[in-house]
Amino acid sequence: MKPEVKSAALFVVIGLVLYAALFYATDRLVYRTGRSNPLYKIAVVDRKSFDWVILGASHAMPLDFADFESFMEKEAGLHILNLASPGTGPLYNRFVFEQFLARHRTRNLLYVVDSFAFYLPAWNEDRFTDAKLLGRTPFETTTARRLFSYSLNQGVDFRAPLDFVTGFSRINNRERFERDIWEGEKQFDRVFRPSPSMTKSRITYLYPKPPTPAGLAHYLEVFDGLVALAQQHGIRVVAIKVPVPPDFRSQIPNEAEFDAAIGQLLSKRQVEFSDFSGSMAEPRFYFDTDHLNRSGVTELFEKQLKPILISSTASR
Amino acid sequence: MSFTSLEFIAFLPLVLLIFAALPVQQRWLGLLLASYFFYGFAQPINLLSLGAVTIVVWASGRAIARTAPGPWRRLMLGAGLTVILGSLFAFKFYNFIADELSLATGQWLGTAPFATAHIGMPTPVGYSFYAFSAASYLIDVYMARLPKAAGVADVALYVAWFPKILAGPIERATTFLPQLWNGLRTNPFRLLLGLQLVVWGLFKKVVIAENLAPLVDRNFKIAAFAAPMELLISVYFFAFQIYCDFSGYTDIAIGISAMFGIQLMENFRRPYLARSTTEFWGERWHISLAHWFRDYLYIPLGGSRAGPVRRYLNVMIVFLVSGLWHAGLGYGVGWTFLVWGALNGFYNWLGLATRGLWRRLGGLLPRIAASTPLWVVRAFITFHLVAIAWVFFRAKSIGDAVEILKKIAVRLPDLPGLIPHYPFTYEHYLGFGLILFLLAVEIVDEKRPIVQRLQASPVWLRWGASYAVVFALLVLGRWGTKEFIYMQF
Repeated sequence: MKPEVKSAALFVVIGLVLYAALFYATDRLVYRTGRSNPLYKIAVVDRKSFDWVILGASHAMPLDFADFESFMEKEAGLHILNLASPGTGPLYNRFVFEQFLARHRTRNLLYVVDSFAFYLPAWNEDRFTDAKLLGRTPFETTTARRLFSYSLNQGVDFRAPLDFVTGFSRINNRERFERDIWEGEKQFDRVFRPSPSMTKSRITYLYPKPPTPAGLAHYLEVFDGLVALAQQHGIRVVAIKVPVPPDFRSQIPNEAEFDAAIGQLLSKRQVEFSDFSGSMAEPRFYFDTDHLNRSGVTELFEKQLKPILISSTASR
Repeated sequence: MSFTSLEFIAFLPLVLLIFAALPVQQRWLGLLLASYFFYGFAQPINLLSLGAVTIVVWASGRAIARTAPGPWRRLMLGAGLTVILGSLFAFKFYNFIADELSLATGQWLGTAPFATAHIGMPTPVGYSFYAFSAASYLIDVYMARLPKAAGVADVALYVAWFPKILAGPIERATTFLPQLWNGLRTNPFRLLLGLQLVVWGLFKKVVIAENLAPLVDRNFKIAAFAAPMELLISVYFFAFQIYCDFSGYTDIAIGISAMFGIQLMENFRRPYLARSTTEFWGERWHISLAHWFRDYLYIPLGGSRAGPVRRYLNVMIVFLVSGLWHAGLGYGVGWTFLVWGALNGFYNWLGLATRGLWRRLGGLLPRIAASTPLWVVRAFITFHLVAIAWVFFRAKSIGDAVEILKKIAVRLPDLPGLIPHYPFTYEHYLGFGLILFLLAVEIVDEKRPIVQRLQASPVWLRWGASYAVVFALLVLGRWGTKEFIYMQF
């Protein structure tokens, strides 16, 4: 072997060793700083079986803010795991749920429905390549395999599994030393002063394009797959819509059509569906344009959610 | 395709493999196809403008070369330049001028602005660069500076050469084409040198420029509300952001070209170490553009030989045209670029006016003139003059730029006292840390090139430096954020 080739090979080998060390260190860091990433929660939770798993986008997340999940568990005498994450639609939720089922069990699944997540790849396929999510997901071979499978079969960009196996987003994470707390959690005790312009821009953000029947049909099919998966495992599924302020609710596009379509699907699958979206109008229940604060989730839990959660104990 | 994209990371090795596999005589063809693929990858429609410029410049060049010196030859050159530079002007300014005229006429007549037709397509990316390359080719053919006539394929590759097409350097046909004609060859040394330049260019762009950008963007956006300290920091950060963004691109372009056996001209020479604005613009910043203006505008206008008044006028014309050329550079088309050009022209006037005085003082006090402290003071002043001009380059409007400078100037005496109490964040510390690192590297490089220093150093230091830069790219780099600023024409 020529000396230059030998030297180049040695350079690459040392580089790879250093890279492996960095990969390992940043993966350990994910465990030290982890908090709200659903795949992190699945990786670290000791318990094998749960009474309830909660899935959905950011509207479901306040149920796990601060110490609220332990409060619900204590009040209802149940074991709950909240696997919701911001801006994620049924495709990402299904991915998370499959990952959960690979190691754990649950008797019930509470799905928090948000119509925005049923229209666009931005809230589904594209979420898999989000550096913020990938950067907080601990490395596991099962996750990598599933990501490759989603890339091949579900239209997820090949960059997602590539990023995940190389650990790029974990290594490149600018907030690597900060705790993985979603910004909403920091405002959990805040009361929002209603602002029409902020509500409008939030709606534009969530619904950047006019909803299309084709998009809805596609993601309803994905959601149907998620419900079917749960039911195949003997898991009871309950779907809810959480309360949002009236101003926000009135501006959601195509909501009546969405309600009709999802209602039809859920009734076909014999899934209970409770729409609480119009049940709490007062601004004091929200910390921003559309997320419940501590008073809001407490009210929701006491008046509406607790009976649903407890109903599961009857079938134990 | 962007140099920082995943697609490019796959594209480059593939092109290198094809290049190595082709016989030397046919390598140009592989590179031409690769260049067209690179340019048309994101927007295939852009290939139309590239093809049109290539055909116009080749046909005009051929006609010029076949015509004897005289009015017909001049006419052909004029026609070719009118098409190339006229289209550049139209792409850049037609919509802006139409809007301004419509607004002004409306105000004059006391009516609502007239609706004016717009050019329905954006300026093709990199058009300013390859239009200037094409124009220089025509002038060089006219001046008979090329040793032989170039074929259409030669001209096509010269215009479209993918490392430089989006943001230069504005290479001359007189240096580029002979390299093609001699046959393109590479070797491990060139590959390694090219790779080192590419990695260093990426470091400047992805680690330095991109980490400075968020704070700059934020504060320039809210100039009226930002604190003077934040604005001052943003002005400093922007000076280094634009330098690292642009010179990073150039380093990558030169590095990639070296891998294929093509030597492109140096475009930046540690500009913030310049001791005068004349040195900054003439010898250190965007050298290929400065030389273009010198050779194809300043000298034809009479340069410095047409008397002092004409000389001053020529300097100002060059800087005003340079301001116009820079308009649209990621920050819209506005009058700010003209002010930026005029301000730099004014600096150069001052430089010209005081040159004799400094020379005489230097002759009287030679030790002081050559001393490091004086060099530091001069570089410090030059940097600040350039940074003030950059404010006009970056601000949304002349009003914003004036507001920023005014706010800083009014509070300047208080700022040193504020530093100990200022709530600096990680973003600030990282930004200043990276700037200091860059300046340290450039000061060391100024005395003796770092490449030479590293070649003479022990292997652990060479490799350690390489690992440090590569891992900084991974750990600190901001990938997939913004395009290179100078690409956004």
